[in-house]
Parts: sequence; C-alpha cells; structure tokens
Amino acid sequence: MTAYLLRRLVWGLFTCVAVLTLVFALLRIIPGDPAQAMLGDQASQGAIEALRQQLGLNDPLWQQYVTFMSGVLTGDFGRSMSSGQPVLGQILAVLPWTLELTAVSFLIASIIGIPLGVVCASRQDGPLDQALGAICLAGISFPPFVSAIILLLLFSIQWNFFPVISDGTGSFGAWFGAIFLPALNLGLIKAAYVLRVTRSAMIEVMNEDYLRTGRAKGVSPRLLIWRHAFRNALLPIITIIGVYFGNLIGNSVLTEIVFSRPGLGKLMVQSLTQRDYTMLQGIMIFFTILVIVVNILTDLAYAAANPTVKLK
Amino acid sequence: MSFKRLGKGLGLAVGLSMLSTAGAYAQGEGPELVIAAPTGQVGTLDPHKAVQNADTAPISWMFNALVRFKPGQTNPATIEPDLAESWTVSEDGTEWTFNVRRGVKCHGNGEEFTAEDAAWSIKRASNKETSTFAGDYVDFQDAVAVDSHTLKVTLKKPLVSMPGLLANYHGGFMLCRSTAEALGGDFASKPLGTGPFVFAEHQPQRFLRLTANKDYFRGAPQVGQIIYRYMPSEASRDLAFRSGEADIQAGRNTDDWVERAEKLPNAKVVALEPAQLIQIYLNVTRPPLDDIRVRQAIQYAVDRDQLVSFVGKRVSRPAVSVIPSDNQGVAKFEFPKHDPEKARQLLAEAGYPNGLTIKMVQSNVASNLRPMEVLQQQLAQVGINMDMEVVDHTTWHTKIRQDLSDITFYAASRFPVADFYLTQFFHSASIVGKPTAVTNFSHCDVADADIEAARSEQDVQARDTFWHDAQRKLIDNVCAIPLYELTNAVVWSDKVDLGYDMVGSFTLLPDITEKVRANK
Repeated sequence: MTAYLLRRLVWGLFTCVAVLTLVFALLRIIPGDPAQAMLGDQASQGAIEALRQQLGLNDPLWQQYVTFMSGVLTGDFGRSMSSGQPVLGQILAVLPWTLELTAVSFLIASIIGIPLGVVCASRQDGPLDQALGAICLAGISFPPFVSAIILLLLFSIQWNFFPVISDGTGSFGAWFGAIFLPALNLGLIKAAYVLRVTRSAMIEVMNEDYLRTGRAKGVSPRLLIWRHAFRNALLPIITIIGVYFGNLIGNSVLTEIVFSRPGLGKLMVQSLTQRDYTMLQGIMIFFTILVIVVNILTDLAYAAANPTVKLK
Repeated sequence: MSFKRLGKGLGLAVGLSMLSTAGAYAQGEGPELVIAAPTGQVGTLDPHKAVQNADTAPISWMFNALVRFKPGQTNPATIEPDLAESWTVSEDGTEWTFNVRRGVKCHGNGEEFTAEDAAWSIKRASNKETSTFAGDYVDFQDAVAVDSHTLKVTLKKPLVSMPGLLANYHGGFMLCRSTAEALGGDFASKPLGTGPFVFAEHQPQRFLRLTANKDYFRGAPQVGQIIYRYMPSEASRDLAFRSGEADIQAGRNTDDWVERAEKLPNAKVVALEPAQLIQIYLNVTRPPLDDIRVRQAIQYAVDRDQLVSFVGKRVSRPAVSVIPSDNQGVAKFEFPKHDPEKARQLLAEAGYPNGLTIKMVQSNVASNLRPMEVLQQQLAQVGINMDMEVVDHTTWHTKIRQDLSDITFYAASRFPVADFYLTQFFHSASIVGKPTAVTNFSHCDVADADIEAARSEQDVQARDTFWHDAQRKLIDNVCAIPLYELTNAVVWSDKVDLGYDMVGSFTLLPDITEKVRANK
C-alpha cells in the first residue's frame, strides 16, 4: 500500500509538471494581452508596452517558463498581474468556499442518487423506475444557471426562506442559509448522474448467478440487495463519484456566479477575462492537485469497498 | 419520513435561514447601503490606475479632487470647488492658482490635507510609472505648493480640459502623501483618501465595505456604511434588489429591463449619462474602404432608426456626430437618410456592382454583437457581406489594436470635452499600430490641424469652430459612421434619498455623498 501511494504521488508530481507546462503554453498561445486588459481601452500603445516590460511579458518564453517553474518549486506562486496581490493568498481565500460547496453538493448527490438508483434497479422498468428515469434525463439536461435562478425565484423571492446572496458566515444559520441552495442546485443535477450509474451497476450485479442462488435459497430481498448486490456494485459508483467530484470543483463556476459566492471557478473565469497569467497558473496548480488527490482517494475507496481489489 | 417530520425539518431550515440574513456584515453606525455592483471583484483601488467603472465607483466615494462635477452631473459646466475652495487663472491660461480648503483630514492618520499633498498627487498622476492617466498630463509643467494651502499649477500651454483634469475623474483624484507612502504596495488594495467614506475591508469575491468618515469636511455622512457587493450575474442583481438585499443596482441597458424595473414597487430607474457613442470606424487606408464611394455606400446602407428601435428607445438615441452629444464642443449633424438604392449605385460606381466582402473582428459581448448583427443584415441588403470573426472581448481588444479589422464596431464615452474623443479616435498620433496609438481605427488624419489648434485656443468661439470643423471633415470623409448613443440603466430603492437630481455619473452608479440617506 505504501509503495502504491508513493508511486501515485510521484506520478502525480509528473502530472502536475505536465499540466503546468501545458497551461503555460496554452495561455501564451491564446490571443489577448494582459497589459491591455489591465490598462483599459484608453491606454496608449506606449503605456501598454511599458507595462508588458514591467510584467516580464516581453522576456523570452523559456525565461518566463523557468521563472514560473522555479517559483512554483519554491512555493512562490507570484503575484496576480491584475491586482498585484499574492496569487497564493487570493486562491486560499476562496478555496474553502469551493471545497465546502463541492463537498456538500457531493453529499446531496450521493444521499439522493445512490438509494434511488438501488430502488430503481430493484424495480426495473416499473412505474417508479420509469418516472425517475425521466426526471434524471431532465436533471442531466438542465443548465445549472437556469436551475439556480429557478431555485432563487422560489426559495428567496416567492417564499423568502433563503437570501439571494449566498455567502453568509459567522453562525450555523448563516452558513446553512448560504450553502443550502447552491449545494442543492449542484447536488440535484449530479444526483441524476449518480442515480443512473447506480441503477445500471446494480442491474448488472443483480443478474449474477450468486444472487439468483440467494433468491432461490429464500434470502430476503432487502438483504440480497443491500448486503450482497450493493457492495459488489459499489466500484463503478465510486469511480463515477470520484470523477464527478473533480468535475464539480470545476463546474461550480455558474452556481458561484448566480448565488454570488466566492470560489475557484469564479476566480478562474475572472482571471481568464483579464488574461491574468500568473493567477491562472496558480489556480491550475490547485485544480491539478485536487484532482490527483481525489483520484488517489477513489483508488483507496476501491480497496476498502472490495477486498479483492489489490492496490499494487 | 412522514410529511410531519419533513415539515419540521423544513421549518428548522427556514428558521435557521432567517438568521442568515442578519449580521451578514460587520456593523457600522447608521444605516447601511448595499450596492449590487456588476463585477466579480474590484481590481485596483488606486485612483490613478483604476480604469474599470466597477473600480472607479468606490474610489469616487473615498477620494476627493481639487474640483468636482456637481453630484449627479457629468457636464463640465457644473464643475464646482471640492478640495480647492477657489482658483484663479493667469491671463495666458498657463498658471492656475488653487486655494486649498483648510481643515480637510486624511483618512487613517487624521493629518490635514495640504497644498503639498495636492502637488504630490498631480505629479503622481503625471508619472507613467504610477499612473495610467499620465498621458492626460503631458502638458503639465509643474505643480508646486506656494504655501501650505496655496497650490500653483503651471502648464506648458493653455488646456481646454482645465480645470476638468483636476476634477473627480481618473487622474484628478487627490491623495494624502503620508498615508499613500506609508501603505506602499498595499495602497491599491486598501487605500486611504479624504472622502466621505473610508476603506474598512475587502472580502475577496464578496464585498468591499466602506464606513462613514465622521470627520468629513462637508459633514458626517448620513449613511453608516456602504456594502459594495460583487455580483457579476445580472439576474442575481435583479433578484437581490427585488428581495431587498440590495438598495442600488446597476441594470441592463435595454428597454425591457428598464420597463421591468419600473414596475417594481418602490423603485426609481434612471438611464444615466454619459451615454456611450456607438459607431463603426472604417479603415480608410485599406481596400475597398480606401474608396470613399464604398464608405458612402455603407453610410447609405445604415438604418439608424432601426438600430435604435432594436436597442431600445428608452436607453438609446440616434448619434449626432462622431463624438458623443454631451461633449463640450459637439456639433450636431444631419446624416444621409437610409437609402439602399443609393448605396447600390455608389458600390456600382466604385466597381462593385455585384457587392463585396469586408472582414472585421467582432467582440462576442452581446451588447456589441447583437446590434452589429442587425447592421450586418442592413449591409447585406445592398450587397455588402460582412465577414465577421467573432472572438471573446479581450481577444477582440488585442486584435483591433493590431489593425486586424477593416471595420471596427466600438462603444465609448470619454471625458466630455471634444478634445478627448477627437484625439483618441481621430488624431493621427492615435492610429493603431503606432507607438503612440490609442484607438484611431480609421487611420484618418484629416482633422489633425483642427484638433491641435483647438487644444490651446483660449477663445471659446474660435475653439468651438475648430472642433466643429474637425467633426465636419471626419464626417465628410466618412472616417466613421456614428450609429447611436447608449445610456446606462440604474435602479435604486425609494428608501434611498440621493439628495440631488440624478442625471449622470462617470462611474455608472450614483454618487454616494455625505447627503445620501438610507431610510431603513
């Protein structure tokens, strides 16, 4: 297990370097000038050139790359090109908001998606299964910013249950008021995915011989489903949840914008608009690390869920 | 779970959530004013570097200038004393002496604002290392404190934009040297000025909080604190205003938005000046636009009334010149009426009887793209095929400055004196691609002499004649085709009493002065 973890961490390091190199190159390929974006449309070409020089954007690319990578290796992510503030500080200020939203959405998706998926599989092609299938299709197809507005219209304007601006802090009530709607918005959509994967994994397992034998021996359906079938269906469910967890971190941007919450996604979009290279590079480091960590945790969850899986 | 238990759970959730609306921000003394700002967060709060409206709005509440536009106005004729109580000008217009107000205290250390601070601020605004607006002050020779409350500003030549260059707009804001130097690099993120509101805190991507300056020289503000909420989503701003969580909101510049906002109970809606002038700039150096008949054909193909109807008559109006209609020095012109037949005839005369294709780079921002698509259809009717490369807004800014667009659809408002717009968009020094380039996309230089002559002309009538001639020449040469002007919709709750007539604001949000009341 230790050897496995070490190997994954080394690979993770390589992945980080590869992603950062790719991000560095892509940012320089896409058109758009950070100096122009910062100085606005009334700036003269001379002022723009002077700022490019000051920001090091006129240095040779290899020199910019070496400066960037050596900074990363020493833990110095640099300063935001647009605000001049340290990149790390700005990321750390919003990272907890993203992690919190992702975790709660993930919890909602699992709590709703997994049991309903199991129920659908056990009543395959029945009215409940078909109804939930249709709801899932709608959920998957629904753009998150539309569902976010609908939730706000209902819960904040019509019923006045929650604030429109979802970033309260300081008390459990404030926290709950701030997290509930955004997490529900993301969680419900992801629940539809989790439900479908759980259902198909369960259906596959439930056609196995050992379950037929169990049924023939008179094992109760509940025991059969939850103890024997569900544990064996867990692997694909864990895989998909791991993938969705990574997706959620990146896909939360629209939810963050509509619910006026801070977050990494929002920071990334803003930095992209500004062509804030240093900030974007810093954000990508965090995204990459988060995805690698989630993947390792997914692998560990495999072993915990199914002892026949050996991590080598 | 029974419905009873579900109901209890929901009740608990609701109860808890009710708590969440209280105590969202640290409390200041006096009522709180929440402003829903159309931004992800402020960029820089250094007055001499901020260019985005979202940044300049809070800056204007924290800082003063020597003179100011009357609150709610953007007309230079309304300029009145601010940190300077009075001023005199030498006969040749090159020496301006300002009597600096006594008893103005700097935020933070409480020291008195002096003529030394004013001189230092002007030098800072003129320095390209410390100011984005240094180019506006190239004709400033010196600024010196004659004594603690007398400032002398010497110009290389008389300037038509004086004293506007020292007003509460861009580089005109005054800083206290002691606090600015003490803050160093942090000044841009937590600045200290002399204005009615003091920086209190900035929460990344959430809000900026300003508290009332009780020592403000015009008297303590009626509002206890301003919460400047970062809300990039227009729909969310709308909902926050409807729910009462925001008191003032930047809106969308469309008729349907204005009409919807007007129907809200207790809401006041205004389409603010200064309006942006939207026009297309034609690159007169590149075929086929180097032929004036092609440019005239485009002019005849354009249907301004249709564009105004499309954008909305409540928020837009037909353009009157190649500079905005609120500019000092504007001349109002009658443009050729929409005449597709005449346009086709001119194209045929120019050697394009079967029409032609023109390439342009276009921003994907809806407020620019949609009207341009209407224009594209209008031009298509006379056989002009607009080959649009639609790119994101930042890329578009870069590409048009690389001279990659034969026609440039551009919206802008500038300091409302004709010299600013004419210089940036029509003087040869501003032609894109040059080291001194700003936004002359048409490459026109026909008005250079008039623009330069007007700059230092002391006689108002003669100066206006130069400006009018410049506009006439640009229109006759069809360097640009003015389309329409677009105002800026804003809504505020009737619980907010601004205390002045709201006509316009350079920051596109109401001026929050010490007299603004929030009756909450």
